[in-house]
Amino acid sequence: MIRYALTRLGLLVLGLAVASALIFLALRVLPGDVAQLVGGTQATPEQVEALRESLGLNVPLWQQYLGWIGGLFRGDLGTSLLTGTSVATELVDKAQVTVPLAAMSLTVALVVGIPLGILSALGRHRAGGTALSVAAQALAAVPVVWAGMMLVVVFAVWLGWLPPQGFPRAGWNDPGAAVRALILPALTIGVVEGAMLLRFVRSATLQAIGQDYVRTAAAKGLTRTRALLRHGLPNVGLSIITVLGVQIAGIIVGAVVIEQLFTLPGVGRMLVADVAARDLPKVQGELLALTGFVLVVGFVVDLVHRLIDPRQREAA
Amino acid sequence: MLRRTALATSALLIGALLLTSCSGSDNAPGPNTTGEANPNATLTVGLSLEPSNLDIRHTSGAALEQALIDNVYQGLVTRDGDENNAIIPALATDWTISPDGLTYTFTLRQGVTFHDGSALTADDVVTSLQTAKDDATVQSSADLANVASISSPDASTVVLTLATPNIDFLFTLTGRAGLVFKKDDTTDFLTATNGTGPFTVSSWNTGQSLTLSRYDGYWGDKAGVAEVVLDYIPDRSAAVNAAVAGELDAALELDPELRSQVEGTGAFTIESGLTTDKATLAFNNQRAPLNDQRVREALRLAIDHDALIQTVITAQTLNGPIPPLDPGYEDLTGSVSYNPDRARELLAEAGAENLDLTLTIPNVYPNSIPTFLVSSFADVGVKLQVDQVDFSTWLTDVYTNHDYDLSFVRHVEARDFGNWANPSYYFGFDNAEVQNLYAQALATTDEQQSSDLLAEAARIVDDQDAADWLFLSTPLTAVGTDVANFPQNSLNVRLPLAGVTVSSE
Repeated sequence: MIRYALTRLGLLVLGLAVASALIFLALRVLPGDVAQLVGGTQATPEQVEALRESLGLNVPLWQQYLGWIGGLFRGDLGTSLLTGTSVATELVDKAQVTVPLAAMSLTVALVVGIPLGILSALGRHRAGGTALSVAAQALAAVPVVWAGMMLVVVFAVWLGWLPPQGFPRAGWNDPGAAVRALILPALTIGVVEGAMLLRFVRSATLQAIGQDYVRTAAAKGLTRTRALLRHGLPNVGLSIITVLGVQIAGIIVGAVVIEQLFTLPGVGRMLVADVAARDLPKVQGELLALTGFVLVVGFVVDLVHRLIDPRQREAA
Repeated sequence: MLRRTALATSALLIGALLLTSCSGSDNAPGPNTTGEANPNATLTVGLSLEPSNLDIRHTSGAALEQALIDNVYQGLVTRDGDENNAIIPALATDWTISPDGLTYTFTLRQGVTFHDGSALTADDVVTSLQTAKDDATVQSSADLANVASISSPDASTVVLTLATPNIDFLFTLTGRAGLVFKKDDTTDFLTATNGTGPFTVSSWNTGQSLTLSRYDGYWGDKAGVAEVVLDYIPDRSAAVNAAVAGELDAALELDPELRSQVEGTGAFTIESGLTTDKATLAFNNQRAPLNDQRVREALRLAIDHDALIQTVITAQTLNGPIPPLDPGYEDLTGSVSYNPDRARELLAEAGAENLDLTLTIPNVYPNSIPTFLVSSFADVGVKLQVDQVDFSTWLTDVYTNHDYDLSFVRHVEARDFGNWANPSYYFGFDNAEVQNLYAQALATTDEQQSSDLLAEAARIVDDQDAADWLFLSTPLTAVGTDVANFPQNSLNVRLPLAGVTVSSE
């Protein structure tokens, strides 16, 4: 197990190293630069050049990359060219919106996906189960933006229950308002992600129903449903953990879109603004942090999976 | 859980129905026109474009000027957007201009303090202007290039001398280069401010809002509200939703398609103001085939401006480079009338049939404009390819490298006719007569004469089909019925809010 964990950790570090190089290079391919934007349409080419120099943009690429990596080893994610603030500080600030949003979305997805997925599998021969499955199919195909707009129209504009956009200026000092501001965005992401989870849980459950051990348990006198719950679900659970890793990545991508739509001051909205402003040191810090987060989730999922699945442990 | 999902699902279905039939809300606040102005009120304004930092001296962008000039920072003079951009006193109480147009003598206002409490001195003014002139990284620094000397003969006077007369100089001082800062200020201007205006910046939630608070030490009439929240909502339908939900007291650049939703609340009146925002279809005058005037004219004739304006809604026709708020404006309507037949003839004469052209357009603009142009040009046999880029790319490719055929951007600045007299500007329009007329217009000290010269130059630019002015933007503003004195014109570049009041019930 320890050897497995160490190998897996090595892969994680390698993954981060490759990601850092890819992120750095991919951003350098973007046309346009921040000096041009700061200078604007009134600046002469000489002024833009002076700005470029003062922002440290005329340093060779490899030096910029090494400087960035060096900073990472000292725990420094970089500094914004536009505001001069530390990327890490801004990430922590914006994560106060994005992390609760992701957690709430995940909760919604789990609440929607798991019980309904099982119900839908158990009731596959009944109208309700089929309806659920069809609904999930449809919902999973809904673009997050559209789902968000619909929820806003109904719950914010029409019923007036929840704010249509924005985050309280007092932030979490006003916890009630902060939670209310996150409900619609979380529902939007959560319902769509939950529908995907539902379809997965349904098919995993259906597979479990067909397994010999469930049939054996049923033959020993358990009802089909109880046999499934007692013996089938632990196996379904294992694969769900793996899928959750992927879903967390999906939720983060969803958050980037949904923060735009709901004007939430989170990591996603900051990232979009920074790309538009070509604040590359900040963008690369943010992207690396997000990539790191997703990789770490994958790492944890793998370890947990291995810890609780005896078959994998034996295989090692 | 089932019930919750069922609720969410049915909500989605109802939502889909509503999208086609929805008009307004029935739980919105009613009109409130009877109340007295409440000095403790907060005014929340929804707008779209957020500044990237607060350093107005060094960072470009209309968002900074909109938020900070007149509200937080001031210069010797400023402009009144609602009075044809007339130049009015700010930190100077009055001024005289010598008959030769070279010496500007300003009398400084007494009792002005910066937000940190220190008093404004003539030295602060001289240093600010000198820095703006000398430091090329200061925005609009070039506007002061013509200044020969800046001095202060006594504590209440500042004298500027120009090398050559420039009738636009006073107007220049209403812009960024003329803003006055405290000498040797140690404020971190990226994230904080220290000005002399009626408001201070009290907090900035990046990605969200900028909050201004009334400055009680202000030299003039104190601001009418205790606090202003500039709520940055880039999505136009989200802005309308926020207005309908009662979260905003005013909303700028209202989406005209959603106007009825806002009106349906009964809580807003919709106003429309003039701007100097010229939606310009630029032709690369230096590059074939657009260096052929027949081709440029043909493209202009292929556009049905009235139909385009019906698509855009918040616009009016503008033929020629000078908008109504600027000196030299003339109503040139009719100078190019929609005539696709003539356009085809001209293209044939120029040997430019089956043209392939590319339109480079920043992706912040709605698709309706390029779509309209594609079909207009297709009708006369010009295939238009649309290249949507982000603004940063536009700045590099089009603005700096002049690598484009056609380009669309909105030129929002006031009095920017000089771009047509500058052959190295991205338009690439090089006409000696226009350059000569423009130079004369600046050099005269007679406003009427200057205006006439500009009008003449503008006619040539229009006759030469240097570009097409698709429309003049006249955006809609939703103003709460309990809000009074909200400014009207040029709000995309200036938003002076000191006089605005909000009444309580």
